[in-house]
Amino acid sequence: MSEGEMAIIKPEMMKSYIWLETADGSIQQVEQEVAMFCPMICQEVIQKGVGSSKNYAISLPQRVNPAMLSLIFDYCRFHQVPGRSNKERKIYDEKFIRMDTKRLCELTSAADSLQLKPLVDLTSRALARIIEGKTPEEIREIFHLPDDLTEEEKLEPLKNTMDDPRIRLLNRLYAKKRKELKEREKLKNVEVEEHVDERSVDDLLSFINGRDHKVVKTSKSKKKNKKRKEQKNGTSMGTCEASEKDSKHNHPSKSRSAEVVDNTSSSLGDVSNLLSMEDDIFTPKTEFEDGYIDDEIDPALKEMLDREVEDFARRLNSSWVLSIGQERQPVHFSINGNGATRRLTGPAAGHK
Amino acid sequence: MVESPDFISDLPQSIIENILTRLSIRDAIRTSVLSSKWRYKWSTLTDLVFDEKCVSPSTDRCVVETNLVRFVTGVLLLHQGPIHKFQLSTSFLQCRPDIDQWLLFLSRNGIKELVLELGEGEFRAPSCLFNCLKLTRLELCHCEFDPPRCFKGFSSLKSLNLHQILVAPEVIESLISGCPLLEFLSLSYFDSLVLSISAPNLMYLYLDGEFKDIFLENTPKLVAISVSMYMHEDVTDFEQSSDYNLVKFLGGVPLLEKLVGYIYFTKYLSIGDDPGRLPITYIHLKTIELYQVSFEDANEVLVLLRLVTHSPNLKELKVSASPIQLFPLEEEGFDLFERDYFDYQLPRLETVKMTDVSGIRNELEFIRFLLGTSPVLDTVIVSSSLTDKDAKMDMVVELLRYPRVSPQAQFLFLQD
Repeated sequence: MSEGEMAIIKPEMMKSYIWLETADGSIQQVEQEVAMFCPMICQEVIQKGVGSSKNYAISLPQRVNPAMLSLIFDYCRFHQVPGRSNKERKIYDEKFIRMDTKRLCELTSAADSLQLKPLVDLTSRALARIIEGKTPEEIREIFHLPDDLTEEEKLEPLKNTMDDPRIRLLNRLYAKKRKELKEREKLKNVEVEEHVDERSVDDLLSFINGRDHKVVKTSKSKKKNKKRKEQKNGTSMGTCEASEKDSKHNHPSKSRSAEVVDNTSSSLGDVSNLLSMEDDIFTPKTEFEDGYIDDEIDPALKEMLDREVEDFARRLNSSWVLSIGQERQPVHFSINGNGATRRLTGPAAGHK
Repeated sequence: MVESPDFISDLPQSIIENILTRLSIRDAIRTSVLSSKWRYKWSTLTDLVFDEKCVSPSTDRCVVETNLVRFVTGVLLLHQGPIHKFQLSTSFLQCRPDIDQWLLFLSRNGIKELVLELGEGEFRAPSCLFNCLKLTRLELCHCEFDPPRCFKGFSSLKSLNLHQILVAPEVIESLISGCPLLEFLSLSYFDSLVLSISAPNLMYLYLDGEFKDIFLENTPKLVAISVSMYMHEDVTDFEQSSDYNLVKFLGGVPLLEKLVGYIYFTKYLSIGDDPGRLPITYIHLKTIELYQVSFEDANEVLVLLRLVTHSPNLKELKVSASPIQLFPLEEEGFDLFERDYFDYQLPRLETVKMTDVSGIRNELEFIRFLLGTSPVLDTVIVSSSLTDKDAKMDMVVELLRYPRVSPQAQFLFLQD
């Protein structure tokens, strides 16, 4: 009826329009098929009969400002056309969400209040992609978040996952190392004793420094051997019994399952992923057993060791929360992480 | 409205959760340190997905295991509200009492979707699992399944996926019948199973293992079936019975749209006394994929022909000949093609793919049959297992001279 009225008033207009009023008072009109793409507007029109004229404009929720509204209608205008292929829609969507983060958030909010779920999902996906893999600092910068948690608070909710047993393990290692160091010292002292009596202090120092080179080198090569062994043991992991059967029918189980599971969940894919799952290849930089380091007797090295253990402890405590880019590098719980090798590289030449 | 510089924290929780569910659980939890408002935003997420990527990698397996256990326990303790989906997929965890505790926690928090893909081990599903009566999806891998006697089934379960589960066969049958809403069923890596499936709402069936006998007793709504049927080396043959297995298995699935069979499936279907015609026509069947068909065995070819001719809307056909010769046979002269088979039409068949063709008479006759009955045939893809170039050439020449009913039909010969 109201549309008939409109047809009389504006006979040259073939389209019907819906009138909308945003929270700031401005009123605009939009083609009906575009506006009706939004469930909230659709509901208002059908249930309350509003929107047909300027005086009876639909009032939009506060979170929708005119700029966002026009963006949303661009989206609706494209997608409400039935003939488009999925690929076309996807390409449009990817271009559409290229905007600065602030607008993206506003758009999400506006789309949500208009109950336009496909757009909410699209923008949420985009926001998730922005957040993914970034450090907390980076995220705070992007979204202008206040850094208003204390250091303690940052650790607090997750502290109960920070293990006393881990600290205990750490202490145990530390104690063990100290003990071994002491024992070695005793042994070496017995050997060196005779020399000490004969040489001067300078000679001693240069002797010790000279020995360091060799000592460090041998211990490094020992470490390498150990790593190789560990790797061998570590990779005899989860079975691939399915692979036996896979070879029987020359089809990867994944493609099989993909064929049956059209509409259902990816559970089959997951199962076959599991079947073919093997250990990730870990870099051989992590070590818990550092017995080989005990070849050094140099107190300077011992100090380094202490520092490393402390570093390790600190890293453990903060690894949960602040392990950011560090995770990208596989080195994490290593005592002999990058720091250690760097330091060891000082007196000894020819290391990485 | 005050314009705060922070433009994301005040979005409604539903949007925040929409965003957080798209992140890995690790990234989602890390948002708790962003700001005071974000501290517990993640804690009401209803879907939790864990794997060993949640913790830092290490060459020491025990370390990863310990860390992962701590991580999951920590998350569960800090979590607020119901948990609808819990997925744990890792070969690092096998049998740990922690898993029992997590399941107990989940059973008290309204779990609906549970996926446990553990490493090989002796994990035994605890009894609290059978109290999760709101379950709509259950997926178990590498565990022992032994429900208490009073267990009646999961009344809301729609999807069941059991892989390499230690379970008594009658338990599976009663489990399936005890889940009346079941729509998706996948049983893989089972040995010597005689199974009778009664599931009135079942739509997707996936079977993989050494099944001795499968009986689809009550599955009228099945839309897609995929069976990989293996046979134990000791067994010399399937159990012979007078019932025609093809009818027994596929007699009650009028809504079938897709049928896929591997290894000995076609052989299994061919067993029994052939009644002549099939009792049902598969009006919805659009795709048939039967692999490892022994073309020397006339019975197997007959199964293939029966299925193809009783599917008027068949669009895509993929067949592979069997390289496995468990029962070496003399090729039986197949004159069935001379009978009334050429009266049939395959009015919608568009694509045919035949692989591992070795050029035996039955294979060629089958292709000839397809060419002569498919007016809209578009592509025939053939790949051969022959190594002798001359033999291959002979085969190609033979195939090319067959008359084609469809003017646009073309051959595509693939090199293996």
